[in-house]
Amino acid sequence: MKRADPRVRGLLERFGVPAEALAGLDVVEGQGAFFIGTREVMTFDAVRPLRRGIRFCRVFPRSVKPTTHAMQVLGRHATRNVIDLEREQVVGLINGEQVEVDAPAAVEDGYVLLRVDGFSAGVGLYRRPVLKTQLPRYRPVEE
Amino acid sequence: MTRRAAEFPGRFLDRCRAMVPDFEPFIDSMSRPPRRTVRVNTIKANREQVLGWLRNLDPQPLDWWENALALGQPGVGKRLEHFLGLVYVQEAASMVPPLVLGAEPGETVLDLCAAPGSKTTQLAAMMENTGLVVANDYSQARLRGLVGNVDRAGCLNVVITRMDGVALVRNWPGSCDRVLVDAPCTCEGTVRRSARVLDQWSLDAIARFSQLQKGLAVAGYHALKPGGTMVYSTCTLAPEENEEVVDYLARRFPEAELLPVELPGFRMRQPLAEWNGRRFATGVANCRRILPQDNDTEAFFLALIRRPIEAR
Repeated sequence: MKRADPRVRGLLERFGVPAEALAGLDVVEGQGAFFIGTREVMTFDAVRPLRRGIRFCRVFPRSVKPTTHAMQVLGRHATRNVIDLEREQVVGLINGEQVEVDAPAAVEDGYVLLRVDGFSAGVGLYRRPVLKTQLPRYRPVEE
Repeated sequence: MTRRAAEFPGRFLDRCRAMVPDFEPFIDSMSRPPRRTVRVNTIKANREQVLGWLRNLDPQPLDWWENALALGQPGVGKRLEHFLGLVYVQEAASMVPPLVLGAEPGETVLDLCAAPGSKTTQLAAMMENTGLVVANDYSQARLRGLVGNVDRAGCLNVVITRMDGVALVRNWPGSCDRVLVDAPCTCEGTVRRSARVLDQWSLDAIARFSQLQKGLAVAGYHALKPGGTMVYSTCTLAPEENEEVVDYLARRFPEAELLPVELPGFRMRQPLAEWNGRRFATGVANCRRILPQDNDTEAFFLALIRRPIEAR
């Protein structure tokens, strides 16, 4: 159980995700990443699985990078470093563009949660005022 | 008969005539493109939110399940709500097996032939992203789609395995509250989506799939806890892949209970009582066939099987 790992804790703190949001969930490390899933998923040992839950973040030598899919689920609990965007801005980011955003002063440079109409879209990298996409390459999205 | 239907293999049409009482409306429906349908992914959104997001695609709720929507316009797969995982593009009849199985939060569920994951992600959502869904498939090529769909749907309760279904259950017998065996099949029922499925169609293929399906159905039954339930389903019409498989299971496990398959508001047909002179076990009558003309869907077959509490 790696929820107490400082890298995982650091990410949760960056986005202000309270510990209660992870009730019933565990985080395990493997394959150069942390994975998050239910306790039953993480303790399943009848056979060797290909995947448990979804990838929470990728691990690099000096940092961790939160994944879009995990943040789309956990992002609803985020209270810090969140940027609310218009749909067309999110579509632009998905399609590989970068956008300029005048985020509230409390938003720090670094990974930010992208939110559209109350739904978490994933993460971006913010260097005020430029917001770069960290969303996965996907089929072109139209609006 | 439409021009498209006239291009179906003659032997296939002869078999359909023998098994479908109202053949003309059936074959007319089989010749038309399928309706565009999506499932609301309740892990991330509710129906009202999705109806709002999709309003310019003319969404129409289907009356047999609140999370099934028909769309009047194409292109949902290229839209933001698809990227966000708020909706899952899924043929309407394919939503029925998980609904009949009826998974509950906190349960342990096996989806034995899971790729590409439409029913896995539906089960995960029905379980409110709790408990355990083991999503297994043997096909490496199809697993990539399964992983992508589980990710996009945000399923935290899914383990993905790549094993022969029989071998998986050998390592994990008697463990599941519910099992879905949505077996690989000749896919006759999906001809509305692509008539190319009939390019591979042959009686030999039906016989080969039937053998495989019997093994998977037995494995699925072995995976059940006492009192657990299993749905066996296919998207084909061939009785050898449907009633005959359930008949085999019923004879192999006489204690197994074949329960009535029901979904209020969704029309389903009686199964065949016999085929090619062979009469099926009595309980097979509780299975159901989904025909395309009844609900404007693809064709499907479903059986609901319960392992008794006092199973041997």
